[in-house]
Amino acid sequence: MRQVRIILWIAVALALAAGGYLLVRKPGQPGPNANTIELSNLGGPFTLVGSDGQPFSSAKLNGKPYVLFFGFTHCPDVCPTTLARLVKLRQQLGSERPFEIVFVTVDPERDGPAEVGKYAELFNSPIIGLTGSAAQIEQVKKQFGIFSQKVEQPSGDYSVNHTSTVLLFDRGGKFDGTIAPEEQDNVALAKLKRISA
Amino acid sequence: MKAILTASLVLLASCSRSGTPDIQISDAWARETVTGQGATAGYLTVSNRGTGDDRLVDISAKAAVSAMLHETSTSGGVSSMRPVEDGLEIPAGETVALKPGGGHVMISGLTAPLHPGDKLQLTLRFERSGDKPVELKVKPALAGTGH
Repeated sequence: MRQVRIILWIAVALALAAGGYLLVRKPGQPGPNANTIELSNLGGPFTLVGSDGQPFSSAKLNGKPYVLFFGFTHCPDVCPTTLARLVKLRQQLGSERPFEIVFVTVDPERDGPAEVGKYAELFNSPIIGLTGSAAQIEQVKKQFGIFSQKVEQPSGDYSVNHTSTVLLFDRGGKFDGTIAPEEQDNVALAKLKRISA
Repeated sequence: MKAILTASLVLLASCSRSGTPDIQISDAWARETVTGQGATAGYLTVSNRGTGDDRLVDISAKAAVSAMLHETSTSGGVSSMRPVEDGLEIPAGETVALKPGGGHVMISGLTAPLHPGDKLQLTLRFERSGDKPVELKVKPALAGTGH
């Protein structure tokens, strides 16, 4: 009987501890094991090559909110769709360029400065197109948690599978969230409004 | 899972209709390109107003340009494209749209940029309706986005 009582008290203590933890933890805040904690370290300074062939330092983005998208210019569907969407949403926000759109190629082999520059012009709105040496691109991919992999095509050409999530950074250069391709426009717009504030 | 799949396949097979398909193609367009871009995507809507099912089995283009039915899929944040090997089912009475971010015609081997207003000729081959010529209108890169 006494043993049963002890076990019951232990159960009560555990329930209180769990309840307390849930009360203390703010809603929306990730639990200790959520991988978003690692994501807060995402980014940091980088140097790549701009469409003019000159080094582009991320310091040029200091004080400006920006969105970062990795892709390649031979990408027929998801890359232009994503960039066009970002341009449209930026236009919907109204004010003169509330955030910068940065496009980094994951295919430096085919995308030199001229290619990324030309490609960025396709959208009739300022987009910063960046490339770099294979080593520079690898480094930046690692820094921003980007995956990419070349896939040979039957035609002898190749395509590139790549992370298509857009990364959002606030004015202070701090990682603020992501936009996935399948996300609705109104959700994406709210996130872009937040970094632009 | 496999059982569900088998069951739905059996169900689908039993539903297939053998009347005459009536294929109509609309909203056919391709995204403009810039110098150096050898590939782009084409999009279109296929409606079957007939009483029989059909299937889009092949797409071809003229000259050096190649056209293939592709699908973009995103898993774990990574987007990839794959050819749609066994074609696209166009059931009787239904409309199938190829739209940005999903199914598309992968157009490659472009030797010159495509400008808005340009036209691109493709041939769509259907299992039962045969070959249908389609003219894709080139649209600006900002066209056809949004959810």
